[in-house]
Amino acid sequence: MSNLAVLPIVLPLIAAIILIFFNSNVKISRLLTKVFSLAGLAVAGYVFLHVMENGTITLQTGSWVAPYGIILVVDALSAVLILTTNIVSVACAFYAAHAGLGEKEKFYFYPFFFFLITGVTGAFITGDLFNLFVFFEVLLMASYALIVLGGDKVQLRESIKYLLINLFSSMLFVTAIAFIYGVVGTINMAQISERVGEVEQQGILTTIAFLLFFVFATKAALFPLYYWLPNSYIVPNPVISALFGALLTKVGVYSITRVFTLIFTHRLELTHEFFIWIAGLSMIFGVIGALSTNNIKLIVAYNIIPAIGYMIMGIGIFNQEALSGSIYYLVQDMIVKAALFLLVGVIAYVAGTSDLRKMGGLIHHYPVLGWLLFISAFVLAGIPPFSGFIGKLLLLEGAFQGGDIVIAIIALITSLLILYSVIKIFIRGFWGDKDTIKNLEKKSTKGMIGPIVFLLSFTVILGIGAEFFYPISDSIAEYLLDPEIYIDSVLKE
Amino acid sequence: MEFLIIILSGVLFATAIYNLLQKQLLRIIIGTILLSHGAHLIILTMGKLKTGQPPVLTEGISQYTDPLPQALILTSIVISFGITGLLLVLAYRTTEENNTDNMEQLRGKSNE
Amino acid sequence: MIYAVFAPLLFAILVPWISKHKDRIHTGIFVFFIPFIIFLYFIQFVGADFSPIRETYNWVPSLNMNFDFYLDGLSLLFVLLISGIGSLVVLYSVFYLEKSERLGHFYVFLLMFMAAMLGVVLSDNVFVLYAFWELTSISSFLLIGYWNFKERSRYGALKSMLITVFGGLSLLGGFVLLTVITGTTSIQGMIEQVDVILASKYLPLILTFILLGAFTKSAQFPFHIWLPDAMEAPTPVSAYLHSATMVKAGIFLVARFSPIFAGYEGFFISVSLVGIVTLCWGSYMAVRQTDLKGILAFSTISQLGMIMAMLGFGTEAAVFAAVFHILNHATFKGSLFMVAGIIDHETGTRDIRKLGGLITLMPMTATLAVFATFSMAGVPLPFLNGFYSKELFFDATIDLEGAAWLSQAIPYLAVLGSIFTFVYSMYFFFGVFTGPKQLEQLPKKPHEAPFGMLISPIILVLGVILIGIFPEMVNAPFLQHAAESVNKNVEYHKVYFWHGFNTPLMMSLTVVGAGIILFVTRRKWDKVYHVLPGKLSFNRVYNFIVEKMDTYSAAITNTYMTGSLRTYMVLILGATLIVTAGYMFLTDGFTINVGNLAEVTVLEVAVVITIIIGAIATLFMRNNIAAILVTGIVGYGVATLFVIYRAPDIALTQLVVETVSIALFLLCFYHLPNLQKREEAPKTKLTNFFISAGFGLLITLVGISAHSSDWFDSISSYFVENSYKLGGGDNIVNVILVDFRGLDTLFEIAVLGIAALAVVALIKMKKKKGAE
Repeated sequence: MSNLAVLPIVLPLIAAIILIFFNSNVKISRLLTKVFSLAGLAVAGYVFLHVMENGTITLQTGSWVAPYGIILVVDALSAVLILTTNIVSVACAFYAAHAGLGEKEKFYFYPFFFFLITGVTGAFITGDLFNLFVFFEVLLMASYALIVLGGDKVQLRESIKYLLINLFSSMLFVTAIAFIYGVVGTINMAQISERVGEVEQQGILTTIAFLLFFVFATKAALFPLYYWLPNSYIVPNPVISALFGALLTKVGVYSITRVFTLIFTHRLELTHEFFIWIAGLSMIFGVIGALSTNNIKLIVAYNIIPAIGYMIMGIGIFNQEALSGSIYYLVQDMIVKAALFLLVGVIAYVAGTSDLRKMGGLIHHYPVLGWLLFISAFVLAGIPPFSGFIGKLLLLEGAFQGGDIVIAIIALITSLLILYSVIKIFIRGFWGDKDTIKNLEKKSTKGMIGPIVFLLSFTVILGIGAEFFYPISDSIAEYLLDPEIYIDSVLKE
Repeated sequence: MEFLIIILSGVLFATAIYNLLQKQLLRIIIGTILLSHGAHLIILTMGKLKTGQPPVLTEGISQYTDPLPQALILTSIVISFGITGLLLVLAYRTTEENNTDNMEQLRGKSNE
Repeated sequence: MIYAVFAPLLFAILVPWISKHKDRIHTGIFVFFIPFIIFLYFIQFVGADFSPIRETYNWVPSLNMNFDFYLDGLSLLFVLLISGIGSLVVLYSVFYLEKSERLGHFYVFLLMFMAAMLGVVLSDNVFVLYAFWELTSISSFLLIGYWNFKERSRYGALKSMLITVFGGLSLLGGFVLLTVITGTTSIQGMIEQVDVILASKYLPLILTFILLGAFTKSAQFPFHIWLPDAMEAPTPVSAYLHSATMVKAGIFLVARFSPIFAGYEGFFISVSLVGIVTLCWGSYMAVRQTDLKGILAFSTISQLGMIMAMLGFGTEAAVFAAVFHILNHATFKGSLFMVAGIIDHETGTRDIRKLGGLITLMPMTATLAVFATFSMAGVPLPFLNGFYSKELFFDATIDLEGAAWLSQAIPYLAVLGSIFTFVYSMYFFFGVFTGPKQLEQLPKKPHEAPFGMLISPIILVLGVILIGIFPEMVNAPFLQHAAESVNKNVEYHKVYFWHGFNTPLMMSLTVVGAGIILFVTRRKWDKVYHVLPGKLSFNRVYNFIVEKMDTYSAAITNTYMTGSLRTYMVLILGATLIVTAGYMFLTDGFTINVGNLAEVTVLEVAVVITIIIGAIATLFMRNNIAAILVTGIVGYGVATLFVIYRAPDIALTQLVVETVSIALFLLCFYHLPNLQKREEAPKTKLTNFFISAGFGLLITLVGISAHSSDWFDSISSYFVENSYKLGGGDNIVNVILVDFRGLDTLFEIAVLGIAALAVVALIKMKKKKGAE
């Protein structure tokens, strides 16, 4: 029991509320945003270290014993994800002032930003299925507000589609929670796990598991449910796209990870076997999407989907190496996706277009941008020594150990195509004659590069310093394979 | 009879989805409202219906209807209301900006 | 050794600074010392009494991913090639590249490559090897794209990267499989577990994975197509990466893994076959080229094929010949590339049709070329190293064991490939240096190259000659060790020029005879290229794939990414419905238990029917107001149900919310156009119907089953018991909301707050816009 658990949720919530009142003063808003995001990172860092040292932190909110009250559980998985979320949040907070948001800054951008972080961290921490739904709604509502911020025709058009699809999946989520309550009589995740285990996941439970999977898969943008993602992620300002790309889909992945390692683990041959197929198809169709377009923002947006495929592949294979790979991949992908969205945002800004066919020769004007993109391409494709490699390596080891050869081959081919889709931006956008873009004005990228470098440095650290991080992901994987530990920390205190 | 309500929820889901698949925004929004009704009724039914008195403690009564689903429904109703509100304004602004309430005309150039 | 590998990388960091601040001195001069020092460091290991050295530096020990450097004969051979040729190439580049070029970039990439290549040949750890392997591909990509203002250069860079990274990833697959099977990440450790690997059911897969990696890197048929396009790189790069070192990484890999696979017939067949086909195809295609570097590129392909084939044979003689030829090829091909660079530099063209008669103008270059080309052709002269290894190659092709159809064909194919090798070698030399001068066709007036530019090729040609005259100089102290690390049964034997009149010599003489005839008459038979390859071109295949990848992926994606909400919904709902229903059926999930149900009253039935009628009516309304009102009726009906089912709080909330919603609805939609008649194709209607009805049914069935699966008591009894005792309230629902599950309520309010803010923002923004 420690109140520490609630801090990562409450801090951004307070920040959001305070920022509502400073809405009209952009300068103070910017300053407060930076301060609060750094404070968030400090808290997340502290919580992370605390969990690493002392194990899972639980907090029974209102002191109501689990499973009756809502329990917050910060285990190693949650702690890592909260930390990563806050790293992304710091980068975006510092970028925001230079993102060219303009008037949007006065339309509650900063409060929405922190509400989003509140929702995301809440979702990572809660130990109650219905409470998870509530946090989903917090982050979704903030995302609806952010996506439409600015109120362009295109934004309105895409946000209404985004909202409607998510609304449907939310309603399905509530329905699925109701079904679970109907069967096992509880909504506390640990107790659900215990009770599902007692009846060996018989009868209708597997069907309900699939309903839940589809709910989360819609949020996570897995095949064949990701249609809402590409276009809605490219209409808002890059800093918002970066937040979305880094965090939103990952909440879906987290939920799948949690529910299908803690609760529904008794019919692996049905559920997890199926996930492997879904993962493979997500990789294939996602990367096909990335190859299909000349819009650099869309290329990055589509690249979310195969990455999610990798993570789900690990959950599907369900052995220690693969799960560890999934977690490694999840963490690094949050960071690299944020960096990439910011990066293509800057590129589109300096080039004056996001159409690759109209670009070229940018390396002569913006060499730093070019090399950052070059590095990100290799991070994304999982080329050593960057972080993507470690995740991919573990996933491959897991796949071969589990005898899942086909998915391993798909994963390998996919990473080649991912590389191709991103290196295309480098070749066509940055290489070429100096004067490919006529009358290119020199624009200042002040304040935009810093956050990107900050994020990319983590991918290098996670890659080269794998010795420090792999044991963490490995121990998380081991922990996830034994739900008893989670159940004990929640119910037997 | 619980099954009656479950079937009703099924019907609500079906009509909701049929509405969601239409072109006109108004119909789609009506669909979302029906959908939330369906979901809420399901929650209600998943507790036992009418197994006792309303869950307000009264002396001499020990049997109450399951209170937890009711609490969940309340939360969900409020959230749905929030979303519906935003959706309505959004829909209004979208039709106004784009001069159409037909979702098929709101496709946008795909993939460009 | 770790310093040797990382020195180039560390120095690369300094290079941009040097090139910026020391602009009076060519950056290359500083860079030269790096490979040269490395060369001097490693040359000390050469000697008859050499034994392997191992050094380990930890990187990620928990993943068994460490810098395990292992220096045996094979890696020593490669290390010396990399650093030796590297020094010469850097020296050459000092004279080849103008100071006005972006030298900083050039040398950074080159040093990056050097480090990577050293890492590849020294790493015993498969994953570290793979990391360096990809780094060679990346630096090669950057060097090919060095003059990226040229379209061809960008094309070549992308092509080489796609093909070699494809191979790299396949290699990674093979490595991971090997690791999983053997439990070790050390190549030497794997060699110790040959039995385990050979017994594994994954053996064919592993072999395929690894060979794909090797074949793509070493430009083996049909993956050779990237190499000719890589010639867009500056010539020093071609000489270094695309002839002497990087393309030999595949060879190195096959040699390295030979001890594992040598006993497996699949290895013999695939490697020998691919190698020998590459030999023939490369040399055949080289004759057709008009670009000097094009000839050399195909020649490299063909020579690599020859080495590959020998490794495939795996016999003691073949392995020794392969190792010997790796060295020889580096000397004569390296010098030829430099010669081609000199010609390009001094005449302004590499088109052999425009060149001719340069022997008088560039006598020094011509002298170098004659030694190098004749050595390449395998002309039997005692001072040409190429002859020795070619002779050993012929010797190795005879009496092969293993698949008979292949073993018998190999000697003939070897001779065939060598004939064309002879032809293009002569073509290269005589085409450039003899015949009529065509000075008017040349962009520049040709003259002999500056001495500095000649130093490197002179050293290489001296190597050709010295090895030719004193083959023993490199044999015992050097080649012997290299050959032993590929096949430990190789025994030391002397290399002679004269073996007597035996089969290999006959083969050599055949090659020379047939070669001369074909060379002289080549104008007569060059129509054969219209037939083969004719239109058969692997480039076309590549272009087709890349092009179609773009168009097909766009076509595929556009079929479902229509921007239509309905399409998305249909796909999402359809998938959810089909899979979930499918699994319900599969797991036999449906259960029904009619006991223990509440009784039905007429009132309920009436309300339910009203709701159903209302819900269905929403589908048919054509008037906005009417549709909204009908929706309201459904809402109030649901509220009534809440009352009946003893949920007064929700009923109240529902009533309020419903009323406000309807008001909002009317506000927003009063001015909008009325609902239209739905004009849909019957097919669309049918799809909509099935999906919605199906989903409704699914929810019903799951609901009934969930309700009937009554295995556990609800946690609710706790709330009933403790609502007053601990929560201090009579209304249990309220106590749950504000106390037991207070967190839900807190954030439910947050949701509402965000929604309100969003609405305010939307409206304000509209006002702002209106004001503008």
